[in-house]
Amino acid sequence: MKHPWRWIIGFCVIGGLVLLAVLPGGKKLEFEVAGEFQREVLVKLPTIGPFDMSITKTVAYLWITVGIILIVTIIVARSLKVHPGRFQYAMETLYELARDGIVGSVMKSGKKQWFPYIGGVFVFVLTCNLIGLIPLPFGDHHQTAFYTATANLNVTLMLALFTFLFTHYAGVRKNGALKYVKAWAPSGAPPVLKQVIWAIHVISEFFRLISLSVRLFANMVAGHAILAVFFAMALIFQSYLVAVALQGASVLIYMFEIFVAFIQAFIFAILSAVYIGGALDQDH
Amino acid sequence: MNPAAYRELGAGLAMGLGAIGPGIGLGIMIGKALESIARQPEVSGDIRTNMFIGIGVTEAVALYAFVVALILIFVAK
Repeated sequence: MKHPWRWIIGFCVIGGLVLLAVLPGGKKLEFEVAGEFQREVLVKLPTIGPFDMSITKTVAYLWITVGIILIVTIIVARSLKVHPGRFQYAMETLYELARDGIVGSVMKSGKKQWFPYIGGVFVFVLTCNLIGLIPLPFGDHHQTAFYTATANLNVTLMLALFTFLFTHYAGVRKNGALKYVKAWAPSGAPPVLKQVIWAIHVISEFFRLISLSVRLFANMVAGHAILAVFFAMALIFQSYLVAVALQGASVLIYMFEIFVAFIQAFIFAILSAVYIGGALDQDH
Repeated sequence: MNPAAYRELGAGLAMGLGAIGPGIGLGIMIGKALESIARQPEVSGDIRTNMFIGIGVTEAVALYAFVVALILIFVAK
């Protein structure tokens, strides 16, 4: 035997795993994925017209997001240096990604005018998504729990509505209302076909609104549901072996969710840039 | 079977069948993008940006299936 320690350690690991598989697990947990996404009311306020003004978990998360963005940007802007430190360098990279990677690579004209909105949306959605990966005490009975404001369709629909409105505002302001609406159908087409294409384009404009909002919402809900299932599966199966295996797997899923948070913010911002750029420089 | 069982069966089928098309599409698109980056590494930035736009548009189709599954489980009565 060259390496007796290897055999001993191997036997210990295998024996430990067998022991974990044989041992019965802890108390069985009733787990409901849908409960993770309920909008519970934190502070009850009266309803004004059709709007319920009470402060829910989502509103609290939005305030936290806005607060973090404000504090970080103010601190960075106050202490700008010629030779940037680590923190300032990270912020500059984010800024450059929004300016060159998103606005610069997609839009032809109006870059300077529309960069604030698109960069703002990028940073806002990114911060929202990343805060969703930090457990905060807003769960049932003030337990720490995962939740994102972007896992709420109202928030994402509002963001998509802003992009929708700004798209048509930009198009009408640059090209004039009649010319902008006329350019939705190709000029060379025969008249009947032109009307059909125009109608299809109008429908597709509204579907952009749906796809932009539902994409972000569904991605965040799916990601958090998978995280919740992976964290709670050991309690459902009642086995220590499953628990050991799933803790490793849930770390991987968590890292993948960080990646998804970046990608979704990037896609939301870049599609906003594509739509606004398309309204500014119409092809046909 | 009672209606609740049909609902959950439908949700599973919606998610599973709805993921086939976007899966094939994403595979083709990312494969082609990698191929073209390998051929012309100097324009890899542009290709990557356009690939992400395509990923966003294609992936939304699978997420519609996900939303339909959620509606079937939690909303439909």
